Amino acid sequence: MADRRRINGPVGTTIPPIYDDASEKKSEGVKTTRSRPANVIRKMYLKTGVTPSASGSAYLEIESSGNGGSGLKLSCSVHGPRALPRSTPFSPHIILSTHVKFAPFATKQRRGYIRDPIERDLGTHLEAALRGSIIADRWPKSGVDIIISIVEGEQDRETSKAQGIEAWDTMNALSGCITVASAALADAGIDCVDTVAGGVAALVQDAGDDAAPSIVVDPIPSEHEKVLAACCIAYLPTRQEVTNLWFKGDLPASDMDLYSQLVEKGIQASKSANWVLVDCLNETVG
Amino acid sequence: MATTSSSPSMAIPGQFLGPVSKFQPGPGTHIHESNLYASLLGVVNIAQPAKAPGPVKRLNKIINTQTSPAELPTISVLRAAGSSDKREVLPEVGNVVLCRVIRIMPRQAVVAILICGDTVLEAEWQGLIRVQDVRATEKDRVKIYDSFRPGDIVRAEVISLGDQASYYLSTARNELGVIMATSEAGNTMYPVNWKEYKDPETGLSEPRKVAKPY
Repeated sequence: MADRRRINGPVGTTIPPIYDDASEKKSEGVKTTRSRPANVIRKMYLKTGVTPSASGSAYLEIESSGNGGSGLKLSCSVHGPRALPRSTPFSPHIILSTHVKFAPFATKQRRGYIRDPIERDLGTHLEAALRGSIIADRWPKSGVDIIISIVEGEQDRETSKAQGIEAWDTMNALSGCITVASAALADAGIDCVDTVAGGVAALVQDAGDDAAPSIVVDPIPSEHEKVLAACCIAYLPTRQEVTNLWFKGDLPASDMDLYSQLVEKGIQASKSANWVLVDCLNETVG
Repeated sequence: MATTSSSPSMAIPGQFLGPVSKFQPGPGTHIHESNLYASLLGVVNIAQPAKAPGPVKRLNKIINTQTSPAELPTISVLRAAGSSDKREVLPEVGNVVLCRVIRIMPRQAVVAILICGDTVLEAEWQGLIRVQDVRATEKDRVKIYDSFRPGDIVRAEVISLGDQASYYLSTARNELGVIMATSEAGNTMYPVNWKEYKDPETGLSEPRKVAKPY
């Protein structure tokens, strides 16, 4: 992985400064529980037009959980519609290409410069979600590039990895990516059927013997004892269509309805995110 | 901006604009289930159709003055002018474009499309002027080297979406052809007639397919 084109930092991990509070005050068992109601998503900040050199751009920030974790910060830029390279065969519709990348400093465990499978996965899901909303045949022989840079990954990835719940953070990242990409596409002037926003719903089990699994919206994995299943939905509100659905986990066989309930909550989360998106776009225009 | 009571003045993608029975769809809109929705972020523009001619004073003929479907107002969504007017357009069949000749080959000239209509294009679109599309007459006896040279600015019309690499253009009209050319000595030339440009300093003329000045 010798990268000779850049001036690289030291090879291998660097140790971030460790403060006394983090290791002493927090004992293993102490964990904050979810403070929001089950149906409420976290506050978001969304702004378009942040990158002047791109055709369209947007920046999304989701507030942090408050127990020492970091929030999610995403920056998206859209380049296009641009001409396809000569070697690409003729295509009567626009060709979408998505790139999602965690910045190396985004998480507590330093990441590499080269895309890893999680980022590729996010890119594929994002493309599926956006493909349902772009009117592709208005732009023949063109391509559009959507590049998302995750500047700050969600919360404390060290704890996530240790507790084995890394996968759930990816869901939150995907829903943020969908929302920010949608805002950037609208800013770039690419014809879209509707504004697509992402939402996550999860089936969680809280600590306590009498706690039954409950469905919460916009979950923070470290706030719950255990996450059983989660689903990320990309939803078009005006047309009432789901463009992408990513489901992970195990559902207990006792309740047949749980799957559809989870999807319903995911759609609710997506609608809440869509309000923020619509507000932001209205501010951009008027 | 004058708007009807039901349609908004600003639109975001997916916003309802009106039923198909009241408006014609223009750029930036799409139709879904007999309703018009916006597909771009921008200002809504309603263009009234050209007025139908009033009743003609003819005693023996009755003119139909009913509103035909083609006379509905056209509703379109244009990107807000405040965002530095960066709307990218795609060359469409029938558009007149300005392009620069990049390469000439025995049977075609390769051009780079610079301006489409009034918009300067950001993307690098390539176009092709085939030998049979240079002139309207005597198509078989056209010589590309006598019609275009690399570096000329040409006004052409898009005739086809073309293949994977380039659009197909045509200069087969009087007002299409080379509008600016530089001589081999390096001076800007002025047109003499439909097939010659002349260098004012050296006095030499060079053959081109010249566009008729407006």
